[in-house]
Amino acid sequence: MPEIFINGQPVQAERGQSVLEVALANGFYIPYFCWHPELSVAGNCRICAVQVEGRSWAEIACNMPVTEGLRVLTDSDVVKEYRKSILQLLTLNHPVDCGICDKAGECKLQDYHYQYNGASSLSRDPKVRSTKFHALSERIVLDNERCILCSRCVRFTREISKSNALGIVQRGDVSLVRAAEDHSLDSDPYSDNIIDLCPVGALLSREFLYKARVWYLEPTPSVCPGCARGCTIRIWHRKPEWKLNSLDPRLNARIERVTPLDNDEVNGPWICNKARDLKQIFERPRAERAMQKGKPVELDAAIEAARRLLAAAKHPVALVSTWGSNEELDAFKRTLGARVDSLVKQDWGPQPGERLDDELLIRADKNPNSATACALFLDRDDPAQALPEDVDLVIVWGEGFDFGRVPRGARIVFLDAYLQPENGHADVFIPISIQTERRGHYTNFEGVVSAFEPCFTKKPSVADAEALFAALAAPAKVRT
Amino acid sequence: MPNAKILMTFPVTATSHTLADYRARGGYAALDKALRTMKPEDVTREVTTSGIQGRGGAAFPMGRKWAVVHPNDGQPHYLCANADEGEPGTFKDRWILENVPHLLVESMLIAAYALQVRHAFVYIRGEFDQPYRRLAAAVEEAYAAGYSGERILGTDFSCDVVVHRGAGSYVCGEASALLSSLEGKRGYPRNRPPRLTVRGLYQRPTVVNNIETLSNIAWIISNGGEAFKKIGHEKDPGTRLISISGHIERPGVYEIEVGYPWRKFIYEDCGGIPGGRALKGIIPGGISTKILTGKEIEPLTLDNPSLQAAGSSMGSGGMVAIADGTCMVRLLQVLVRFYHHESCGQCTPCREGMGWLHRIIDRIVAGEGRPEDIERLYQISAWNDGTTICGMGDAAGYATSGILNKFRDEFEYFIEHKRSRFNGTLECLRSS
Repeated sequence: MPEIFINGQPVQAERGQSVLEVALANGFYIPYFCWHPELSVAGNCRICAVQVEGRSWAEIACNMPVTEGLRVLTDSDVVKEYRKSILQLLTLNHPVDCGICDKAGECKLQDYHYQYNGASSLSRDPKVRSTKFHALSERIVLDNERCILCSRCVRFTREISKSNALGIVQRGDVSLVRAAEDHSLDSDPYSDNIIDLCPVGALLSREFLYKARVWYLEPTPSVCPGCARGCTIRIWHRKPEWKLNSLDPRLNARIERVTPLDNDEVNGPWICNKARDLKQIFERPRAERAMQKGKPVELDAAIEAARRLLAAAKHPVALVSTWGSNEELDAFKRTLGARVDSLVKQDWGPQPGERLDDELLIRADKNPNSATACALFLDRDDPAQALPEDVDLVIVWGEGFDFGRVPRGARIVFLDAYLQPENGHADVFIPISIQTERRGHYTNFEGVVSAFEPCFTKKPSVADAEALFAALAAPAKVRT
Repeated sequence: MPNAKILMTFPVTATSHTLADYRARGGYAALDKALRTMKPEDVTREVTTSGIQGRGGAAFPMGRKWAVVHPNDGQPHYLCANADEGEPGTFKDRWILENVPHLLVESMLIAAYALQVRHAFVYIRGEFDQPYRRLAAAVEEAYAAGYSGERILGTDFSCDVVVHRGAGSYVCGEASALLSSLEGKRGYPRNRPPRLTVRGLYQRPTVVNNIETLSNIAWIISNGGEAFKKIGHEKDPGTRLISISGHIERPGVYEIEVGYPWRKFIYEDCGGIPGGRALKGIIPGGISTKILTGKEIEPLTLDNPSLQAAGSSMGSGGMVAIADGTCMVRLLQVLVRFYHHESCGQCTPCREGMGWLHRIIDRIVAGEGRPEDIERLYQISAWNDGTTICGMGDAAGYATSGILNKFRDEFEYFIEHKRSRFNGTLECLRSS
């Protein structure tokens, strides 16, 4: 355990660490662009300089191994002047079009410029012009003028996603990041991570392009339900104080974007593109009215009808959702578990073209909470088998059930969140809330429990499954 | 003073590059001697004793570079001969490749034996056509004669020599970029640490040496390190190939003993400056070394200690003579255009700085210079000093600040009068 001194203060380091890592871990901030904890050291941006005491020059910290007794300064005059020079050079050909850049507000170049330089450019010559909207893939657009060639995106596709989709062509100040061949980035299911990795506004999401200023948004911690990995994510939506009255209310309550929530236990700093596209799952048309045989009714009436059906049933069967939270599944078991035969249902399966599984994050089980569901309920639903003939009530919780498997004459209670034709075929249909409207926990395939928080408020005509189960199991109300 | 020769010891004829001629001159005797009578560490000891310094530009002692590699540490080692001779003004290695390719092959095999290398590489620049054909033929001949490949000369030592052609990048002459290029990657220089002798080609200890440096090994083994040390300057022993071009009567490649007087070299051996004009300046060792004026250079001798005392160095031995009447602003423009074109674009100071230098100097030459431009040129040079991954940023900075230091008045004149103080050309007009 070598001991080094940063700005005169002794700090414990580990063998093999770089000065940058030690400094960041101990609260000494050193600016950096190209360095990233999960990627190899490139040492090309040159901003992370420190001064070794006794030397008159600045050296990069990301490639400086710690040695016993090393003494570095992170804020000396030499370092300050050096940072100014690097920022002058980085902004030399940078278009400084922050006003129309999606990255503005969370851009390292912008932040460092104000923090460490602040001076206007010393150059009076024209800037190098380059491609502004290069479609790197179906999902990502590249602005080469903003690019500072830190090579983070290139290293990501080589070292993490292993698609080798990106490289740098040309050289000198006309170097360009380019896809190795057409569509090579399209087949990388982790491609959108390079948007987060980009320290400037060069790599942009085509979905999110010009949609919102990031300072009008706020993130809510959540969990991706896309597969059994349960990556922790941030769901970004408008801040309450920045809701726009002139906008359609639905636009004020939409998922603007999804980014990873750094989590060493589960996903590190990465998520796959499916998590970025959660709005495709959560923003499908919602079922907002309870129904009895296709006729809209009040929520309370539907719950009472379902309760009666259950009370009268001789052999009720329930299909338990693998999208339910730990709390909901537990509530189901406590309230209805003894009354009904419970089968664990796989709500979602792999979609056409979706990667089944890989070594990085993606799991073949496309449901977030199979772990808890399978731990609480022993029986699995087999989608290929019809339900037993003597079943007279089927409670279906969540999506992914083929109603053709219900025996003739059996009644159906259907609890789901989305607008589908099946809703009207059920004897009782009760709309329930979705993950972005409630709090709860999922347990991933390795047993790690992650929490999600509500982003939006649910409609009063929609039930929370946890409360609903208690109501269904309650004894008949005594009329007064 | 005596002028010993190590490399240019024979008349160049139509067949002097062939194996038959090379053997007739005593070729491959040193390889035989090394393999049969010496242990690998004996070879390294002779090289260390000789005190030979690298001829590629950095003048790093060859023995010290080799000493980092442990021949018996149980992992593969690699040797790479750097024939990516791209420094403007330098064309000395081409002479070896064209005229004594077998000397390089023999020396490489001896070096490979000393370092216990199974695969040795020659990275030759893509623009070299004749040198490549001569070298490839020499390697073929060496294989056929049993000098390379399996069980060389019947001993237990085996080594393959692989010739790889570059694709036309100046930066690939930098040792680590060369190895990246050899691995099939983009020719980007690597950060140090680790040094290449610790983790080089394919992450293994690798020695990269210049062609001329390597070519001295056969002589050192034949005659001993002590004999080599007696030649030349005590701190910089041996001879050097100097390629001289520019405003000089007899440009070409010369072998001189280190410590040879400049005056004698320029005015007697090379025939002086065309038209009897005065010597305005000399770029002594490739354009990345600092320029010296004619007055500064004439009392000096051709060796690193003397040139370093004058603020420059022997560099790669690519000398450019500049006659009186040459516009130094135009000269700097040519140099900076080269650096801008060749910057690999990996790290910030050089990628952005070279273009900036180029735009400023272009503007000055176009008559649109501003007084602050000179300060800006200095500033960008300083921003590249020691801040880049490889030495190219420094080199461009040295070239720029070197010329500005010595000829600042010409730049001021150009900016003020919007034209050159001279006729603005770089050609040396004999009639002047």
